[in-house]
Amino acid sequence: MIWTDTDIDSPVIVVRAIYFAATAMMTGAIVFRTVVAAPALRSQRKAGAVVSSQVRRLAWISLPVMVISGAIWVVLLTESLSDQGLHEMVMSGALRDVLTLTQFGMVAQVRFAIAIMLAIGLLFDRSRWGSRFVLAAALCLTASIAWTGHAASTPRGLGYIHLTFDVLHLCAASAWVGGLLPLVLLLHAGKRDRSLAQPPLELEAARRFSVLGIISVATLIISGTVNAWILVGSFRGLILTEYGVILMVKLAAFAIMLAFAAANRLYLTPRLASPTGSGALRWLTRNTMVEIALGLLIFAIVGVLGMLHPAAHFVH
Amino acid sequence: MRSSSLIGTILLLSLFASGQASAHATLDRAEPRVGNTVASPPREVTLWFTQKLEPAFSGITVTNAAGQRVDSGKARVSGDHMSVSLRPGGAGTYHVNWHVLSVDSHKTDGNFTFQVRQ
Repeated sequence: MIWTDTDIDSPVIVVRAIYFAATAMMTGAIVFRTVVAAPALRSQRKAGAVVSSQVRRLAWISLPVMVISGAIWVVLLTESLSDQGLHEMVMSGALRDVLTLTQFGMVAQVRFAIAIMLAIGLLFDRSRWGSRFVLAAALCLTASIAWTGHAASTPRGLGYIHLTFDVLHLCAASAWVGGLLPLVLLLHAGKRDRSLAQPPLELEAARRFSVLGIISVATLIISGTVNAWILVGSFRGLILTEYGVILMVKLAAFAIMLAFAAANRLYLTPRLASPTGSGALRWLTRNTMVEIALGLLIFAIVGVLGMLHPAAHFVH
Repeated sequence: MRSSSLIGTILLLSLFASGQASAHATLDRAEPRVGNTVASPPREVTLWFTQKLEPAFSGITVTNAAGQRVDSGKARVSGDHMSVSLRPGGAGTYHVNWHVLSVDSHKTDGNFTFQVRQ
């Protein structure tokens, strides 16, 4: 009996990580505007308009990054399956085969279509239905990542459960990690122009983001546990396999993120309104940048994890 | 935990990581069983995997003791298992070569043998 290795492509890992980060940034910004900024700044039209335009800018930057990295991902997969370069794979039909004959390829086509609709939606999103459509499209794009990962290949009924919890995991991660940058931008916009957002409104936004963060973290822990139970299955699987060890590194990064988030929400945010508020804001910004860096590290780790065979297949 | 001891712990844990994990085995079971002996040439070979498969990029070839291909060529794929029909091929050691693409884009291949008593 002979088992052979498959090579893990480091370009694919990088492209995957960029794809996840761009999707999270886009969805996180849009969720932040709908759930945090818009309600908190409802009475401040000028502040609300500024934040809304910042969010739209973040979305317009991350959307093309997402589409391009997604396209490169499809090309890299086709290259590994056909051993053909880009020109050859187009002429020989290999790229067409991957796009039309694999679930991954079909999902890539659907994602591209949703991305186009999202771009159109962003042009009209000053209206209420426009912004709702944009939110729905962004969440669909985030959720669709589940169909490119291990959850998509889990067989039988368990596969549906895996997909459901993976979708929740992805949306929660995007909302939390993707919302960090808009939060920092909002707080600094308020500081720069005192007429823009009064401290109580900044605190209201920060409070709302804390609630979003708590719900996201709870969802991440529950869905992450279910996913790990399916993919790792045992404590031995966690410590004896490459998959398990890298998963533990992901969990460690998550724990450190939580510590910084707790310091921000419980200690620094209440001090924003006080006389030493600018010191607290500096620390808050610094900590949030660390949170964002850890979030990007986690996306890179997930870029690797998705390429490995799950521990549950080796160890029971 | 200081960052240096965290890194040390991770490195220590990595030592326990099985090198076997880099071999991407996804074959769960096979019929005829891997390495087994069957009384007469089987009508088909069926392989079960741990993940769902892409039909367009998965296949099986089977050769008999004389090195002739005895499979019908087109593998039937359904969810996480795949089978191929066989022509009669006589006694001896049969070689099964399989290659699969899982739905989450993992490419794997492998081979095994089984014996046919006649």
